[in-house]
Amino acid sequence: MKNKKTKAILTSNQMIIVYIMIVLSILIGTKNSAFFDFSTVITLCRVALVTLIFALAEMLVIVSGGIDVSFPAIACLTLYLPVFLETKIWKIDNVVLIFVLAVVFGLAIGAFNAWMISIMGIPPLIATLGTSSIINGALMATTSGKEISNLPASMDALYSSYFFTYTAPSGMTYSLSVLFIVPVIFIILTALLLRKTMLGRGIFAIGGDRNAAKVAGFNVRKIQFFVFMAVGAMTGIAGVCSCILARTAHPTNLMGSEMMVIAAVVVGGTRITGGHGTVIGTVLGVFLIALIENNLIMMGVPTYWQSFVVGLVIVLGTSITSLRAKKIAQSAKV
Amino acid sequence: MEGIKKSFGGVHALRGVNLEVKKGEIHCLAGENGCGKSTLIKVISGAHDADEGTMWIDGKEVSKLRPIDAIHMGIQVIYQDFAVFPNMTVAENIAMNHELMTGAKIMDWKQAHVLAKEAMDEVGADIDPDILLERLSIANKQLVAICRAIINDAKLLILDEPTTALTSKEVDKLWEILQNLKKKGIAIMIVNHKLDEIYQIADTLTIMRNGKYISHGAIGEYDRARFIHDMTGRDFVETKYSPAPSEEVIFEVEHLSRKHAFHDVSFQMKKGDVLGITGLLGSGRGEIGDALFGIAPAEEGKIRLNGKEIQIRSIDDAMKNGIAYVPEDRLTQGLFLERSILDNTMAASIKKYFLKGKLNYGKMEEATDSWIQKIGVVTPSSKPPIKTLSGGNQQKVVIAKWLNTDPRLLILNGPTVGVDIGAKYDIHAMLHELAEKGVGIIIISDDLSELVQNCNQMIVMQHGVVKGHLSNSVSEDELSSALSASGVPAKEAAAQ
Amino acid sequence: MEKIKNSIKNMDNSIKTLWLLVIIVLVIMLILDAANFFTFQNLRSMVFQFPEFGIMAFGMMICMISGGIDLSLVGIANLAGIICVEVVLNLNGSIGFVPSAVLGYAAALAVGALCGLFNGFMIGYLKIPAMLVTLCGLELYKGLGEAITTGPALTGLPDAYKLLGNGDFFSIPFVIIPFLIVVIAVSFIMRSTVYGQQVYFMGTNNEAARYSGINCFKTTEITYMISGILGGVCGIIITSHFNSAKSDYGTSYTLLTLLIVVLGGLNPDGGKGKVSGVLLAIILLQLISNAFSILQLDSSLKQLVYGALLIGSLLVNIMRERVALKRETRLAAAKE
Repeated sequence: MKNKKTKAILTSNQMIIVYIMIVLSILIGTKNSAFFDFSTVITLCRVALVTLIFALAEMLVIVSGGIDVSFPAIACLTLYLPVFLETKIWKIDNVVLIFVLAVVFGLAIGAFNAWMISIMGIPPLIATLGTSSIINGALMATTSGKEISNLPASMDALYSSYFFTYTAPSGMTYSLSVLFIVPVIFIILTALLLRKTMLGRGIFAIGGDRNAAKVAGFNVRKIQFFVFMAVGAMTGIAGVCSCILARTAHPTNLMGSEMMVIAAVVVGGTRITGGHGTVIGTVLGVFLIALIENNLIMMGVPTYWQSFVVGLVIVLGTSITSLRAKKIAQSAKV
Repeated sequence: MEGIKKSFGGVHALRGVNLEVKKGEIHCLAGENGCGKSTLIKVISGAHDADEGTMWIDGKEVSKLRPIDAIHMGIQVIYQDFAVFPNMTVAENIAMNHELMTGAKIMDWKQAHVLAKEAMDEVGADIDPDILLERLSIANKQLVAICRAIINDAKLLILDEPTTALTSKEVDKLWEILQNLKKKGIAIMIVNHKLDEIYQIADTLTIMRNGKYISHGAIGEYDRARFIHDMTGRDFVETKYSPAPSEEVIFEVEHLSRKHAFHDVSFQMKKGDVLGITGLLGSGRGEIGDALFGIAPAEEGKIRLNGKEIQIRSIDDAMKNGIAYVPEDRLTQGLFLERSILDNTMAASIKKYFLKGKLNYGKMEEATDSWIQKIGVVTPSSKPPIKTLSGGNQQKVVIAKWLNTDPRLLILNGPTVGVDIGAKYDIHAMLHELAEKGVGIIIISDDLSELVQNCNQMIVMQHGVVKGHLSNSVSEDELSSALSASGVPAKEAAAQ
Repeated sequence: MEKIKNSIKNMDNSIKTLWLLVIIVLVIMLILDAANFFTFQNLRSMVFQFPEFGIMAFGMMICMISGGIDLSLVGIANLAGIICVEVVLNLNGSIGFVPSAVLGYAAALAVGALCGLFNGFMIGYLKIPAMLVTLCGLELYKGLGEAITTGPALTGLPDAYKLLGNGDFFSIPFVIIPFLIVVIAVSFIMRSTVYGQQVYFMGTNNEAARYSGINCFKTTEITYMISGILGGVCGIIITSHFNSAKSDYGTSYTLLTLLIVVLGGLNPDGGKGKVSGVLLAIILLQLISNAFSILQLDSSLKQLVYGALLIGSLLVNIMRERVALKRETRLAAAKE
């Protein structure tokens, strides 16, 4: 019995990602020994910071059986609008207010998404695609793509706050921003939510069998509203973090990142059909994609091949997850 | 409940139903498929609201019930598809109801294990609590559903057609469990339509037909004749199909085998034969049909149609050889509900109408109209979507779809499930006619009276092997005992 | 008059809505800027524009009827266009323009077909949901295109290449020809071929289709292959229009084609859809797009409008269905 369980763990989706990461790291390291340094970890963390939050949020939606492609647009809105309000209209400087506003806007849009999907019955892909277009169109039309580079001082202060600074043998310094605490908190919260609370189990339930969840007594509507509003709030915060790290509020920069995030989530073992997914898997998926994206050059892949390679990784990752699911469905039953 | 009415967009599911279940009583809700039993259960459990009528639980009037309210009041339903979560473990599934009932916000995994073990001990099941439900067999899934239901001091336990997927040993086990629960004072309602099982277990029963309440009373007040009369609206007339004898062998099967499904099956059909294949679920009866139609082909053995040996490796092979198959689940496997009657009738034979470089809709309409006439479907034209037809008429169209392919062998799996009595007679008459013309007819069914009246030859399957060849000189009771007589089982699956 | 009234009554709901929207747009433009909108010049410029995304919409249509979706069309179009341009650029000198163009076009269609077959394989055999496959496919094909061009647009095409996308014949733009061919072909395929009917059946109920003898895998492959080929045709037209090839032309077309198809009466779950609806929707969207440029409105407002229309039209459909259901229930209850 124990052997079976150990075998299952060793061949699980999460471990496979770890193996791939190890192999890749070795490949990269042999080409560039500077890779085997603590600075790599810090860089990866920095690069993955915002994506982690996005991925955790998207994972919630996908596990519940839906999908949300509006989150980049939400993030764009929640990073731009509060900064715009504070710097141009109210002329105040309060980073806490920025976060609060971001969360409020995110919650509002999330509620709108939830209304369309849960109450009106519009397919999630189309509903969120619509939301994304409306927000993006509105942002582009009103800002013409112009960014606000003069961020309030309090935001900049956060940019310059680090947990620690590490000096590599090469002499360059690498610092881990305090903002890294945000995804860490979300990782813990999400893990607790999904594992320990009935609400979290409810998310799995509606993803597993929506009808069964309803007759079992779950409040399906409430859970769906929670999920989409959580996405809104989390991406709201992610947007602000991204803005702080970039030191500028750009209204459309984050657009187009849906694929990468969904890829990380699916590669991490979450089934697109719903009902299955782990926080560890998602985190690993994000780091794997970040590792690949960030080090393609070091692996000798020219920039113009990068999109294709990432696309290939996504295709392979999703195929493997789906094939596994198919195998289980067809296997002999106990 | 009294005077319960429930309609869905013009389709009257329930038209005035009365029902009463007492504590510590096993009450059976009987009626043919499509009579509204499922809808009634959904109203009781709070999944649907009734349009009219009143419901009392424990003497108190209730209305606007939500599923969670019904659960709080002690109503537990075990649905036909069990409504379990394939992506969660056994322990979690079992404890689920309890967690929801207590309104817990936190999931207590340790307690889940304890509860699961308790429930499984009481029920007599032994399943690994950490296994994901999607890996379990159907019988085990049902056991998990039952465990879940009894965890919560249920006051009224409703089981919807619980025996469909069980072996006879498992059915006995189920009755044992229910008797135990009955002694504890729980009211039990079983939805069932199989006469023999009802006699085995029920104390009282209520009969429904076409959404209406027909009668109720203690089981002793019902003899066979009254039971059938109330269920079907007609008196039981025993007729048996007897074709003219013939020596011409039109279809035969030799030593057909497929691993885990059936083994060494052989039979012969002569012109005029209507062959019935029966057996409990899992006996291989459905699997033979799948093999002959190419859905899950046989691995060994020979098939000979009209004297010629043929290979059936795919549905395409089967159809090319003139084999047709009316599937078990009409709604998901046989019908295109949103499409017109014309489309549904033509679905399997479109290729025939590709003439002169394009599809000839004129000819398709002609053919459909002629079928509508021939099989007696009541409809103004072939244009309306097929979902507007009754179950019986829908099934007729499915059969017409296959008849339009000019088959030499027609296999039907559960052909009259959920079909009203009039359509049932029509369908059987059609099949007799075809058989006499030389088309091989195989009926796979668990409806004993259907088999005895319409098949002049029968095969009883058990655990994948042919247990007996019978002719229809046997009576229904004899057939019933042939079905449940135990041999030495190859693999009993009450537990793993 | 009776005849007109009757035909309006019998019209599909979505077609009614489309006509209504068309009339609204025309009236608005009549009021706001009739002088510039209602000219032959303007009409001509519209005809130059809609075939690009119109043909793509038909690809999307077939996939949706089959119960799936094809979000990778823009990627396929650009990739096919890049290959076509590469062929022409490389062979033009040696064998002359026309032969190299013919080969280039053939290559584009072949690329489209291959991408489509790949999509179809993942969806039909591996049974991965179409949305995920084609979203991934979009990235993959775009990435491949980027890899081939190494980034910047491919230019240096002979002037003759521009002809298809920008030239005309007695004031009738050439591009209308492939568009009309596609309309007629798709119409015929969906209505009058065995395959076409099988797509409808498969989209309505995949399992019942299988049980009725329809080879679902084959039908899926053909569906996505046709879609891919149509994407290839668009690639040819787009590269001719811009006289260059790049991996990210027309990214807004993904949303646009989805909108066209939904407005055109297609059910996202599959099984329903007609060429006439899609055609009318294409015209409507072109009118809207054109109105935007005439009124000199910010083109990003277009995105906003498209998104709102997408959601709005589905909301209208759903509310309509609910009202109808309620009415039927009331009528039936009254009959009792």
